[in-house]
Amino acid sequence: MMAPRALGSDTYYQRPILKEPVWIWTVPMYFYIGGVSGAALVFGAVTRLIGGPVLRPLVRKCHWVGFVGGGVGSALLIADLGRPERFLAMLRVFRLRSPMSVGSWILALAPPCAGAAAVFGDPVSSLTAGLLGIPLTGYTAVLIANTTIPVWHEARTSLPALFIGSAITSAAQLLKLLPLKLPWQARKALNTFGIIGSVSELAAGWVVEQQVSRVPIVGSPLHEGLSGALWKASKVMTVAGLALSIFGRSRSAFRAGAVLGTTGAIALRFAIFHAGKASARDPRATFQLQRHDALLPPGDDGEPYQIEPETKRQTR
Amino acid sequence: MPKGFFTDTTVCIGCKACEVACKQWNQLPDDGFNFTGMSYDNTGELGSSTWRHVAFIERPVPLGGNLGSHFSWLMLSDVCKHCANAGCLDACPTGAIIRTEFDSVFVQPDVCNGCGYCVTGCPFGVINRRHDDGRVWKCTLCYDRQKVGMEPACAKACPTDSIVFGEIAELREKAQARVEQLHERGMQEAYLYGADAAGQPGTGGLNAFFLLVDKPEVYNLPPTPAAPAKTVEQSWRAMAFAGLGMVMVAAFSVLSARGSRP
Repeated sequence: MMAPRALGSDTYYQRPILKEPVWIWTVPMYFYIGGVSGAALVFGAVTRLIGGPVLRPLVRKCHWVGFVGGGVGSALLIADLGRPERFLAMLRVFRLRSPMSVGSWILALAPPCAGAAAVFGDPVSSLTAGLLGIPLTGYTAVLIANTTIPVWHEARTSLPALFIGSAITSAAQLLKLLPLKLPWQARKALNTFGIIGSVSELAAGWVVEQQVSRVPIVGSPLHEGLSGALWKASKVMTVAGLALSIFGRSRSAFRAGAVLGTTGAIALRFAIFHAGKASARDPRATFQLQRHDALLPPGDDGEPYQIEPETKRQTR
Repeated sequence: MPKGFFTDTTVCIGCKACEVACKQWNQLPDDGFNFTGMSYDNTGELGSSTWRHVAFIERPVPLGGNLGSHFSWLMLSDVCKHCANAGCLDACPTGAIIRTEFDSVFVQPDVCNGCGYCVTGCPFGVINRRHDDGRVWKCTLCYDRQKVGMEPACAKACPTDSIVFGEIAELREKAQARVEQLHERGMQEAYLYGADAAGQPGTGGLNAFFLLVDKPEVYNLPPTPAAPAKTVEQSWRAMAFAGLGMVMVAAFSVLSARGSRP
């Protein structure tokens, strides 16, 4: 049973209903670095298995990137904790229902495996690191989708593809940028990996936009404000980087493409992060989405009611 | 034995004794002495150091059964709902958030490491991290008082029994009877918010539920709140497919480079 519709505003003085995520910049930065780390581990394991002797020099480099990325990523996450000295409490329990718990375990296990694979080069640790790399790349998307933040929760089936596509771009472009001695075949493999990554990143981004715009106000952070600007910038940079990766003929064009792909991927993570913050600040996103899904009549989410001087006199 | 609150907003007089009693008993720090300028509500919202919050709604709408007035005040003492399916509890990666023997949701301060994930899991925007302390805090349903058989400080302090503490099953009966009484008196708009799982499947029902006389949004309550963990499987499945795609893309890139000629 629902009460009849009242006059005036259907938000509480337009105050937020949700709490803004308390996370700082280190978290979206980790989304990027964790993605690089995971995708590099997957690429390393696949290359180890089917790359043959020609591509073998690439394998260890992938594992090193995975190892260092996992370490730096962990440090970024610990820096965000309210009580950093209690970071080990993350491994106190294992809870399938909490993506943060699952992710903590993955992040705790992946770097040691990557380190072992980098040092010993054995197929077992390489493969284990690669298998852990898959969820390491994608769990962050599951983590933010599994919240009450409307713009994140609405994209819950497309965000993983977006994050994984973006992680492929990130890992490929970073490995291209690092001053490594690689055979030309390895560079070609990385370039192909990055191109398909960017294409899937753009495609998944389009799907995310469609999904979150089901109720227009929910999708507005991707078009407005800081998050909207970052989202647009990310798309432009990714497209430019992709074009240079495909059509670039010179070494400098290739490097420029790699830089653009990297900055595009970082901008994407920050765009999604800030879109979530904006979504939490706007009570209309939560209210309109829930009314829409529950088939409730639309409300009036405009300006709060102001008492007119005449009304005041009447009630006196 | 599940225990909780029934908050009857029709008898709330907005005295904020609950806010004060809560602050005092739980020794909560102040949250700034801010003047909102929007109403008599200068508290604004629930937060890490505000576990009771009285909302003030001024409407140019008469209340059913009240003659001769074109205006009405609505007041609601908001609190953590201690949901049967609690989003914060599902989210907590450290096991710091537990369900107590009284069926309430409690954050263990000696375990919480302030990761902030529960903050995004609460559909009511209740739980939050305290800046100076680094941990998350919210209403404990006076776990310490309940342990020794005392009622929570806010319910004890409420002068009109707008906040009633007791066993959930009894509270539901009491609340239903109150709704019927109000309907008889002409206040047809009275209804219960979150009284059971049938009325609010997303949260499985609230251990702190409310009697309201306008839409939930008016009180800054969501119309159909839900703990997000219900849909997490969809995301894991999508991730598994995308991950499989990543492996295939890697295999294609490697094989095509391996077999190519300069």
